[in-house]
Amino acid sequence: MSIQIILALAVFVGAYILIATEKVPRTTVALVGAALMVVIGATDEHGPFFSEDSGIDWNVIFLLLGMMIIVGILQQSGIFEFIAIWAAKLAKGRPFVIMVMLVIITAVLSAFLDNVTTVLLIAPVTLLICDRLGVNPIPFLIAEVMASNIGGTATLIGDPPNIIIASRAGLTFNDFLIHTAPISAILLVVFIGLCWLMFRKQLSYNADRVARVMALNEREAIRDVRLLVTSLIVLGLVLAGFVLHSVINLEPSIVAMLGAGLLVLLTRLETKKIFADVEWETLLFFAGLFIMVGGLVSLGIIDTIGQAAIAAVGDNYFGAAAGLLFGSAVISGIIDNIPFVATMAPLTYDLVQAGGPAAEPLWWALTLGADLGGNATAIGASANVVVLGIAARNGHPISFWMFTKYGLIVTAVTVTLCLPYLWLRYFA
Amino acid sequence: MHATDLQSNFPVVARDTSAVAAARLIAEERLAGLVVANAKGNPVAVVSAVDILGLLVPNYMLDDLNLAGVVDEQGAEDMWSQAGDHTIGELLDDDAVRLYDLLMVDADATILELAAQMAGAHAQVALIRGSDPAQFVRLPDVLDAILKYCA
Repeated sequence: MSIQIILALAVFVGAYILIATEKVPRTTVALVGAALMVVIGATDEHGPFFSEDSGIDWNVIFLLLGMMIIVGILQQSGIFEFIAIWAAKLAKGRPFVIMVMLVIITAVLSAFLDNVTTVLLIAPVTLLICDRLGVNPIPFLIAEVMASNIGGTATLIGDPPNIIIASRAGLTFNDFLIHTAPISAILLVVFIGLCWLMFRKQLSYNADRVARVMALNEREAIRDVRLLVTSLIVLGLVLAGFVLHSVINLEPSIVAMLGAGLLVLLTRLETKKIFADVEWETLLFFAGLFIMVGGLVSLGIIDTIGQAAIAAVGDNYFGAAAGLLFGSAVISGIIDNIPFVATMAPLTYDLVQAGGPAAEPLWWALTLGADLGGNATAIGASANVVVLGIAARNGHPISFWMFTKYGLIVTAVTVTLCLPYLWLRYFA
Repeated sequence: MHATDLQSNFPVVARDTSAVAAARLIAEERLAGLVVANAKGNPVAVVSAVDILGLLVPNYMLDDLNLAGVVDEQGAEDMWSQAGDHTIGELLDDDAVRLYDLLMVDADATILELAAQMAGAHAQVALIRGSDPAQFVRLPDVLDAILKYCA
């Protein structure tokens, strides 16, 4: 083993530890790690920006950027608040029915928006509804963030790990709709049942306060009808572009950027509002991660591990899928699933290349494990951390263990259900 | 004319002062902010009236401004009645809230010195160094003094 490989591994492991412990901002860690990879010669000056195998995956970066711009503009229209309040009124103020409505809304939204954006949109209106109804909002917030992680598995754009996996594997939007959306829908139904079991005793309310929910005027949430209509039309076109990938032959990143550009052109919002919701730090985090993992690819480390994995797996791809599913779930419950998937994607690529079509379900095992594992603990997914912050700021603190005791149950059930799904769908 | 010629009292609040009490002081005296004292009772910082206004509004509505319109008058009155639960301490602990260091000026500072220091520090109020009990110079008084000499 050369000194270069030892140094590259040290940088990579050190960065992982710092990201997991959150002692240093994760973007700083990823960028410093990327710089060190260049300094030690793990990648040359051409690689980080121009190599398809070991450089920054621009498809991922620009798909995220385009969707952040579109969603940032759409959310200013008030449509999400409108839907949530409308649903609460439709439920006639009954807490569990409201919870089910909000869980379904969150899961569906999360399939098309990233999870953090979804919970940022749904949590404030949830707090308003609970405040009006006089019920404890904590079960609602926990249920919603878990629904966002479940719904995020359904599509290519639902969760950042899916975007990384799709780009590395060459999977399309429709591939995700066909392979992960069905199990995501099944898991959502099961999750609603779990919500009944876990939260029903905490949903007592004063029926006299239902009138306060019914008095909410959801139409007032829509502040700009033209913006709403324009945004929905452009979002529809973008989703159509994703679905028609094989016909129009445009990468999802191009479709998203074209949609973002069109929306900016049509809405003519000031620049500050257009880019207000772009998470530049997250994009830089991705860029740094890609360079770090690219360093391991360039030095042949990923290939070596991949070969070992291929030898270990043999032709037992169901065993490999099970290992990947549960292993990813456990690791994603402990650390951020984005760096994990960024590392595992090239490894899984080697396995799938070696195994051919029989090994392709490994991508779905990785997707489901990494996405659903985020529910396991309070720090398993960025959306969880965001919701805990919102809850605390509003006087409803959710402790790590309070979240985790529910998270472990939900993760165990949902991930375990994925195993028979994978078996029946691909190996039986 | 010196700082002592313009000195006056200024409301000082503590960490445990309720948001409603703070808001009442601001409303009664038409202030742009309040001076906050530390645990020993010494004035140390200034919080703006806008941040105190934020304490009266449910936090989730500040996160999502679209929600303010959906609540009717009756609902809003319910919310105001619950606003007293918050304290100034919450502002002090909130990283998103900007606390202004309390500007300190010498007792013999001239009007020009006061004007320059207050403008430079974007301060609405300044504490006269060494005054006991604490005495302050307010921005409107400084402006009044300046305007006497303006054409």
